[in-house]
Amino acid sequence: MSDTASNGATDDAQADAAVLESLRLADSSLPVGTDSVSYGLEAFVAADRVADADDLAALLETYLRRQLGPGDLVALRAAHAAARDASDGRDEAALTRVCQADRRLNATTLPAEFRESATRTGGRLLSLQRELRADPFVEAYARAVEDGETPGAYPVVLGVVTARTGVGERRACLVACQEFVTALAGAAQRLLQLGHTDVQRVVTECQPAMAAAVADSADRSLDEMTPFAPLVEMRSAAHERADRRLFLS
Amino acid sequence: MATDSASGPGELTAQTEESTDRSDSTDDTTDLPDPAFAAYAEESLPGAGVGAAGKDGRLELAFARDGTETRLVRDLARTPFHVSGTLGHDPHPAGETVYVQSPAGGVAQGDRHDISVTVGPDAVAHVTTSSSTKVLSMERNYAASDVALAVGSGGHLDYVPAPTILHPDARFGQATTVDLAPDATAVVGEVVVPGRLARGERFDFERYASTCEVRSEGELLVADATHLAPGADDGPGPAAPGMLGEFAVLGTLYLLAPAADAAALADRLHEAVVADGATARDAAAADRDTDPEVTAGATRLPNGAGVLVRALGHRADPVTDRLHTAWDSAREDWFGVGAPADRRQ
Repeated sequence: MSDTASNGATDDAQADAAVLESLRLADSSLPVGTDSVSYGLEAFVAADRVADADDLAALLETYLRRQLGPGDLVALRAAHAAARDASDGRDEAALTRVCQADRRLNATTLPAEFRESATRTGGRLLSLQRELRADPFVEAYARAVEDGETPGAYPVVLGVVTARTGVGERRACLVACQEFVTALAGAAQRLLQLGHTDVQRVVTECQPAMAAAVADSADRSLDEMTPFAPLVEMRSAAHERADRRLFLS
Repeated sequence: MATDSASGPGELTAQTEESTDRSDSTDDTTDLPDPAFAAYAEESLPGAGVGAAGKDGRLELAFARDGTETRLVRDLARTPFHVSGTLGHDPHPAGETVYVQSPAGGVAQGDRHDISVTVGPDAVAHVTTSSSTKVLSMERNYAASDVALAVGSGGHLDYVPAPTILHPDARFGQATTVDLAPDATAVVGEVVVPGRLARGERFDFERYASTCEVRSEGELLVADATHLAPGADDGPGPAAPGMLGEFAVLGTLYLLAPAADAAALADRLHEAVVADGATARDAAAADRDTDPEVTAGATRLPNGAGVLVRALGHRADPVTDRLHTAWDSAREDWFGVGAPADRRQ
């Protein structure tokens, strides 16, 4: 392969743009409402099952390896693969594949609050992206969500928008993990009054589990999604009925 | 993964004895319970092969509504399954009950079982087992069971077997499919016990993977997967926080009613299954102060399919009891009669 200097510069510029886009999407200030979700963590804290940074890091490993890796990230990858192959907004076959990933993930996500949080944040990311850039495929997918044909779950929306902005599939999975961990660490900061350094320590400690979750998801087809964390589900069921709560899930 | 049976719910006429042998038992690589079973599948068995005679248990039950009653119109049972008849102890006036017996000592390596239960329009059937299913210790290959349940329009099925006990080094995969007419209902349950707890066995099995897929009119409503591999070095194990924690026994009950209001039922069932009818808040408090015998909860399943109840406990009986409470409550809700009592004792 012989790149001319100008081609190399173009490649660099595209790669840089993709990195910057992934950093923007992983930023906790991304206005998609992740500061309102705890995915059951609030109920773990209420039951004194998560009381400090160590408890939090251990629980986050379960979320990453047992929920995201065999679940969300598999759907994200499938959506990413379909969306990056899509020629344009009229590529019905690609859109169908995205919707299949979306519906399969929804059928696999058993706690009701998790589905609600995923579609709420997914919907916000989708409308944000439509404001930022015109992409006919994203438009077509957004219409399918609006028409109720497909749920628009966050991992699938993220798979679509990353694919359409040149962010690679694996990097997109890492973005999803980083986003999830920072969201829950942020929730824990409020629930447990964790210090900033402790929060960063938790996020750092979770990095090997994030990488492992991404690897776990690599060779699974959509019908091999097997998220399973029963105590997480049960905390979420308790959270649904809690009288006082700060978070929507 | 098993696919839906070829005949849809409600087609109960002209049943003939199946004469062709199953071919899928030799086709393991395309029908693994989970990709993690691929290495087991390559291990051949000494003596009788995988799914050979005596290892290819088959059970087919079909129920049809006949006037005010439900009748068992087809029962095919091949070793180790045995059906001795029906029992009419269901409080539902149209209900029919079948206890499936399994005289063999348990499920062994290389076993490939195939169970299908079809409930016709307006029929009401309860299928259970007469004793726990023991999944025996294994050295090679694995054991698997495919369960296909179908319920026709206005029909109801309770498929609530006795607990599955996983002996040391057991490898077991199970794939359950439920095909429901839009106005049908079903209760499907399972209790998994990670060893002979009284002997001190606990999570000494190798791998357990169970999937349950619920469909209606071809649409996938729910896909659940339970996957426990205590010996695997691939992340948080069964005792990890958020998994089973300090608990051993996992109970799952799907209360399926695509036409019903799942939100209201989920709330009622949640209240019913949290400790001793206490409110969710009290249960959280109890959880904090003491180590409860069972922790349980209910949530709405995706796509309006119904309600999921899970219960975790230290022993099988309290978990079974808690699931029975939810089953009873849902039956009251749907039919005005409770669940059949457990006649095994």
